[in-house]
Amino acid sequence: MATDAPARPAAPPKAPEQTAARGRGRRSRSHLGRFAVFGAPGLMVYACFVLAPVVVSVAYSLTNHNPFSPPTEFVGLRNFELLFRDEEFLQSLKVTVQLTAILVIVPNAAGLGIALLLDRKGWFYNAWRAVFFVPVVLSSVVVSLVWTRLLADDGVVNQALGRVGADPVGWLSDPGLALYSLAAIMAWQMLGFCVVVYLAGLQSVPGELLEAAAIDGAGVLARFRHVTWPLLAPALTINTVVLLITAFKAYDHIQVITNGGPGSGTTATVAFVILQTGFTANRQGYASAMALVMLVIVASAAALALKLLQRREVDL
Amino acid sequence: MHTSRRAVLTAAAAALTLSLTACSVDEGAGTSDPAGKRQITFLTFETPNLTPEYWNAAIKRIEKKYPDITVKKLVAPTTDRTAYAKQLLASGQFPDVMIAVAPTGLGDAGNLYAWQPDELGDFQVPDGGAIDGKVYQLPANTQSIPVVYYRKSMFKQAGISAPPRTYAQLLDASAKLRAKGIQPFVVGGGKDGFPTVLPLTGTVATDVYGKDPDWMVQRRAGKVKFTDADFVGALTKVRQLARRGYIDKKMVSLDYAATEQAFLKGKGAMYPMGCWFAAAGDKSAIKDDIGVFHWPTDDGSPLASGYTGGGLSVNARSQHLDAAKKFALAFQLDKSNLDNSVRSDALFPAVKGYTPPADTGPVFKETYDLWREASEQKATVKAFAWETGGDALLPGLDAKVHAAAQDVIIGRRTPEEAAAFLDTEWDKAS
Repeated sequence: MATDAPARPAAPPKAPEQTAARGRGRRSRSHLGRFAVFGAPGLMVYACFVLAPVVVSVAYSLTNHNPFSPPTEFVGLRNFELLFRDEEFLQSLKVTVQLTAILVIVPNAAGLGIALLLDRKGWFYNAWRAVFFVPVVLSSVVVSLVWTRLLADDGVVNQALGRVGADPVGWLSDPGLALYSLAAIMAWQMLGFCVVVYLAGLQSVPGELLEAAAIDGAGVLARFRHVTWPLLAPALTINTVVLLITAFKAYDHIQVITNGGPGSGTTATVAFVILQTGFTANRQGYASAMALVMLVIVASAAALALKLLQRREVDL
Repeated sequence: MHTSRRAVLTAAAAALTLSLTACSVDEGAGTSDPAGKRQITFLTFETPNLTPEYWNAAIKRIEKKYPDITVKKLVAPTTDRTAYAKQLLASGQFPDVMIAVAPTGLGDAGNLYAWQPDELGDFQVPDGGAIDGKVYQLPANTQSIPVVYYRKSMFKQAGISAPPRTYAQLLDASAKLRAKGIQPFVVGGGKDGFPTVLPLTGTVATDVYGKDPDWMVQRRAGKVKFTDADFVGALTKVRQLARRGYIDKKMVSLDYAATEQAFLKGKGAMYPMGCWFAAAGDKSAIKDDIGVFHWPTDDGSPLASGYTGGGLSVNARSQHLDAAKKFALAFQLDKSNLDNSVRSDALFPAVKGYTPPADTGPVFKETYDLWREASEQKATVKAFAWETGGDALLPGLDAKVHAAAQDVIIGRRTPEEAAAFLDTEWDKAS
């Protein structure tokens, strides 16, 4: 009976392109599925802990939110208007910029110098590398407590100065000096990180390039300037961006060493003022506006630094 | 394909669950175990007087009394336990019970349990620290802030026969000490901030609150300002002490513990501090060399400043509210705990029928008698920047007052500028 049935027209043969396109579509869906399986948990965590707080901060920044003084009202851009007339915030911006300038330049320069000295083989140099790296792994609070004692009015540093006949210095109590003391402590802690990154960079400089330059008659300085330094560009980028972000986020050292003082705001960074405003004065709407301004500044500064420094890497 | 879709859905559901769990706000951090034991969290803070051992022993005593309650101790990272409590609240980890956390802002927003009159019957000042008539912090003890501790031997060396009673005598004594090469005052600050404010608390008591005990209520109502002459006068006195070198501006970098050590090690002759220093003074080798006097008034009349409060508060949304209340009241009224608070932190328990133990040291006894005499003469006022009730500074302003006091001491702002700064900060906070 089946034989009597009119034969169905045979399906036209599939074009090879069509088959390939379907195959590509299946593969692409399969890739998408795999990406979703492995990527979704991470994306969800990122969305919950990074994106959601940013979105919530944006929403809060447009309100007068104070958890202890309801109701919360929409105030539009008023927080941002007030911010740029707020002496405390402007002072904290100034302090942050000063701290950042010191923290980006000093450990970078000193780290490069030390890395050049330690770029040799042997247990002696390995031991020194470890010595320089130890502060990096210490907690900021521990480092801060130790330095607070060392720099106290009757601390070891002033006692040493006293022995050579010098007057004690108000390292942390002199408003003109406290920020520099704080920056020096933070620079000291970050120095080891820069040293290690520069050492890694130095060890990736091909020896034959240096040899070729030497054969061409280049001296030590010329070899550094024309061979080593350009090849250290990626290390410089990493150090600069990490130091930039560290300086902008500075909070724990300040909390432990100076509490933003001496006096009102002489060492208070933007991050410190945000926490004080949000959690001590309870003005969380206003603090969110500060946090957003800080986010924009940090993101812009990091992007600019990356762009400038990476261009140098590309131009090699 | 089905497998892939199911896997995607499973992963998405797991991530969503994870994120929702992480984002959910915990109302009271307490837990119960299957045996019915209720665990509550208790926020404490540590100082040279209030050591981990002190807290552990006090907690254990109440746990023994109520075996159905177990307590998880939390410790604030600095002495500013109020700021830490707020951080915990914001992150959904507000403790069930907390001690000496300023209730202003927290209580009136409904985060703290308002104690009922029948629960406050054992306290001498049942309405101490009330906000709009509600008491959120057990009015457990009275603290005299500041009193001035001094080294008798240094006074003798400088030819000072008696502790100063008038402000002029204080200046004279300081000049004599300085002439003998002795630093007159030890005033610190550092990361703790509050040690800097004690001379100002003293001058505000004598020059501002002495004239108008309700000054802070008037400030809240906008009827007075920090830039008013009396308050600027109080700041000017502090500036005067610093300009003459009687307060060493280099010392403001010392934190609380280091400030106390500086006085005990003889780095200065006078130490304006709260009465709790008496505990450390009595434990020191120099306890018989330490005397105490009130911050002097202009005319020599006695005037003491202090406040009653400082006790335990309970999270209004605690999962184990009853257990938390039971623990708080027992902790606060337990005789052994009270005796230990006297011995360890030199507090004056404001509990009916309580008398301090007889074995307290000479520094505590002298400090306690000084406060009692002033109370009997009704010569007491609130302690500026230490009040915690409805007549306290606005939330966050205490840190600004500490900073302003430091500015005046180190010469970064004039008294007028510091007062204007406080008015600006007040306006921002209100």
